[in-house]
Amino acid sequence: MKRTQRRQRRPFIVTVLVAGVLALCCLAIVVPALLKGRSPGTADQTVVVDPRTAKVTIAYSPEKATLFTGLVKEFNAQKLRTPDRQPMEVVAVEMTPEEMVNQALAGQQGFQALTPDSSIWLDQLNGRWVQAQATEPGAIPPRLVGEPVRYAVTPIVIAAWENTARSLGWPDKPVGWTALQQRAQQDPGFKWSHPSTAYASGLLATLAEFYAGAGVQRGLTAELAQDPKTLDFVGAVEKTVKHYGEAELPVIQRAAQEGPAYLDAFVVSEQLVAALNSRHFPGPFGGGQDRLIALYPAEGTLWADHPLALLETPDLTANQRRTFQAFREFLAKPEVQAEVLRAGYRPADLSIPLNSPDSPLTAANGVNPAEPQTTLQLPAPDVVAAVQNAWALTKRKTNVILVVDTSGSMEGSKLENAQAALRTFLVQIPSDQERVGLIEFNSDVVNIIELDTLARNRAALTSEVDSLQAGGNTALLDAVRTAYERLQQEADPERINAIVAMTDGRENNSNVSLNELTAEIRAGNEKVPVVIFAVGYGKDADYDMLRSLAESSGGQVREGTPETIRDLYKILSTYF
Amino acid sequence: MNLALTIGILVAGVIAIGLSIAFWATRGGRRTQAVFFLILGVVLLVVGAGLGWRSIGGGTQQPLVATPRGPIQVRVLTALPAEPWVREAARRFNEAGNKQDGQPIEVQVIAMDGLTALGKFDRDEFGSLGDKTRDQLSPQELEKLETTFPTAWIPDSRYLVELANAAYKDRLGRDVFLTDGEYRARPTAISLFTWGLYQSRDEVLRKKFGEINWKTIHDAAVAKGGWPELGGDAAWGFFKLVVPNPRRNVGGLAAMIAAAGEYYDRTNISVADVTNPDFQKWLGELMGALTDVSGAGAYTAEDFALFGYSVGDGGQLLESDLLNNMAGIQTRWADPLVIRYPKYVTWFDFPFSVWMGPETTAAEKNAALQFEQFLLSTEIQKLAVQQGLRSVNSDVSVTDGDTLFTRWQKQGVEAVVPRTTRMASPSREVLLALLRWFDLNVGK
Repeated sequence: MKRTQRRQRRPFIVTVLVAGVLALCCLAIVVPALLKGRSPGTADQTVVVDPRTAKVTIAYSPEKATLFTGLVKEFNAQKLRTPDRQPMEVVAVEMTPEEMVNQALAGQQGFQALTPDSSIWLDQLNGRWVQAQATEPGAIPPRLVGEPVRYAVTPIVIAAWENTARSLGWPDKPVGWTALQQRAQQDPGFKWSHPSTAYASGLLATLAEFYAGAGVQRGLTAELAQDPKTLDFVGAVEKTVKHYGEAELPVIQRAAQEGPAYLDAFVVSEQLVAALNSRHFPGPFGGGQDRLIALYPAEGTLWADHPLALLETPDLTANQRRTFQAFREFLAKPEVQAEVLRAGYRPADLSIPLNSPDSPLTAANGVNPAEPQTTLQLPAPDVVAAVQNAWALTKRKTNVILVVDTSGSMEGSKLENAQAALRTFLVQIPSDQERVGLIEFNSDVVNIIELDTLARNRAALTSEVDSLQAGGNTALLDAVRTAYERLQQEADPERINAIVAMTDGRENNSNVSLNELTAEIRAGNEKVPVVIFAVGYGKDADYDMLRSLAESSGGQVREGTPETIRDLYKILSTYF
Repeated sequence: MNLALTIGILVAGVIAIGLSIAFWATRGGRRTQAVFFLILGVVLLVVGAGLGWRSIGGGTQQPLVATPRGPIQVRVLTALPAEPWVREAARRFNEAGNKQDGQPIEVQVIAMDGLTALGKFDRDEFGSLGDKTRDQLSPQELEKLETTFPTAWIPDSRYLVELANAAYKDRLGRDVFLTDGEYRARPTAISLFTWGLYQSRDEVLRKKFGEINWKTIHDAAVAKGGWPELGGDAAWGFFKLVVPNPRRNVGGLAAMIAAAGEYYDRTNISVADVTNPDFQKWLGELMGALTDVSGAGAYTAEDFALFGYSVGDGGQLLESDLLNNMAGIQTRWADPLVIRYPKYVTWFDFPFSVWMGPETTAAEKNAALQFEQFLLSTEIQKLAVQQGLRSVNSDVSVTDGDTLFTRWQKQGVEAVVPRTTRMASPSREVLLALLRWFDLNVGK
């Protein structure tokens, strides 16, 4: 009996042993494989580039966000793979051209390719990179930026409302930078703007002023750009600029909302003129009540050519090249190029006529595909740099008062983020000639740093920002009124006068009412215009009140969160 | 394949556990079989879950060493004007399933201007082995070498190959691209530098000066009153010259050499000629008519077509580039382009040059040679003609059938160019002297 039981148990033990050994073998294979997969990222936290990766991150400039992100989505939807079966993927990240250049130069870019608004930035990037490489004199310099390709181009134009365009001479005679500048200097009510030189359109407008100031139409040199006569001329023209701004897109969006009341003319790309007239932007003037006309400057313009190029860094993988090439080929497809045209850009594929049936580039939309006839000569990089530096000195100066809420609800990380944002704002304004003040308020106006040049009060402002403390109620209107009165007392129409007022809550402690204050602003602005940028910090801010304040001054309302407030103040700094 | 394996293992695990339950539940209970299938099922589920977790990203990074590649890789650095042709040829070659030593070949085309590539060879940026052997490389270094080092180079012109050899001769004591033997650099196609002008501008210039050459272009460039002074439309502004930027495109150097040839009325240009103050003044005036001296644009024929007469009224560009853009220019700008042939001509011959160092294997070199033969085949040479290049195979005519050469004869294209004189290849010193002059006088 016992023998029988032993006989029956033996196969059972053997089976268990076999299964156990099999299990151990499987685990011995799987566990190290799993651990190996995890180790590079967890052991020392260093980023190891997978030599087979086919993912390419592309930085793009903001004005083409809709078109570019749409194209990237379409490309990724194809689910292409490399010959070794790695998935090809493009990731799009939005960035200003200046940020692209700076990040690439710092070697900390999170992107392998870039598509700024103009080739100018690629050249700046290469030029500055070469300088840092200590190349032997006379040797062929290295290039960081690979061969660029183009998929969409658009000329930069002066956009003017039809009545304004006609008053400048359109369509009977060519209208140029000189006509615009003369009009701005002769007519105090004429409102125009151009972006800062951080954007291709702003750089073009500025270059045109320097050419006119130097009295030449080609061969601009650094010496000519820095000549006092040139600087006087540019300074006089810049005094007529209503304000600068972050980029073209916010300007066209406001133009669609407010029409000629906002600006009579501004510098943007042709694509945005066509887009506004063909109702791409919401607002009564977005293709409705009035029409924008693209004026192609008679002296010449520049092209926003939206180049797309790889950064030739050593860690670029063969598969990333394949993905880039596949994306490049995708952009060249006739159906994609037709999509580019529908968005209002001139496609790089020359076989697509600009007068295709669904092309928005029509006379009805205020554009002329046969233009421009001529371009301005784009000077050498050192002359461009000289122009950018000289512009920073000659641009219209600012009196700006920062109004800061330190009521009890700002306590903690909210205040810390706001302090970081204010510090960023002060750093972003490089010229010591700008005049900045600060008013801190909670239950009342509690602290004032008087308006003065940054040369004199930059340290005091920074120190005040560092020592802000939260507590009390919210007397926003009293604080704005204090700031407004100070700017009116300055009576300095030569400068841009502005208030950047930030609050996170509801007004509950002021002596002046909203109606009284907006009436005062409207009346006062007849003499010395003061523009209010009202920043609602979080969802609890009283946006109706902020809107009323902004509208009474021709300003704007912006919404910030603890996460975005720093970037918002950085953007606002570009207006001054 | 990984996903199928994972699912298979998981399904097998579930079946094994199911069988275990079935054995357990049978009358009398077949415990041995039940336990066996239970353990097997659990193990399979653990293995399957582990693989599944990795495949959905739980394993984070991929292993650093790539799995062995199948095809032999042939990376061909290709000059921009020939790139569309070579890329299409590579596509056909890859599709045809060509093999070397029984292994399939994959040709990868990397577009790069000849001057940029020369700079990379000059600075040894591709990472030649130097004194090392392949055995001394770490797996990562070997991986990089095998996935990035060029197997062959098709520069714009033979003189770039000679310049690259000169750089490596200093470094390694030998040529890296051979000039004779089986692996010698062989021209694959030809294209000439020609004048391309918008017809409206050409008519005005010829009426004023009679002939288009560097001297008349110079006179147009220095006209202080711009186009009205030359008899053209005021809206055209000043005369705008299009020449490739020599810092971005080797065609710019070729154009400056051609200009020097006409200035001196001879084919050989020396450093003394380039540094002659009178010539430099003349060249400076000529280059003053460039629209973009920032270096931002390469000034290729593609730019000329894309931005039209707004960036250039005319200039000296590669015939093939102009031919490829003739139709597009008419569609986009309404004003057609005309082509005129200069007296002193420079041309590109796009030599296929196989890298001869230990950085590439014998199989890769031979695979590159196979691709070179494919480029020289009649079929692919006809393809070159279709793309505006002139064939190096005398059996392939540029006027055979409907080609760009026949289609644009009315616009001045000539199948046989009768009266030109070929400029001699410039020395490295002449090229560097021209680049230095450009940097100091135009680019800065």
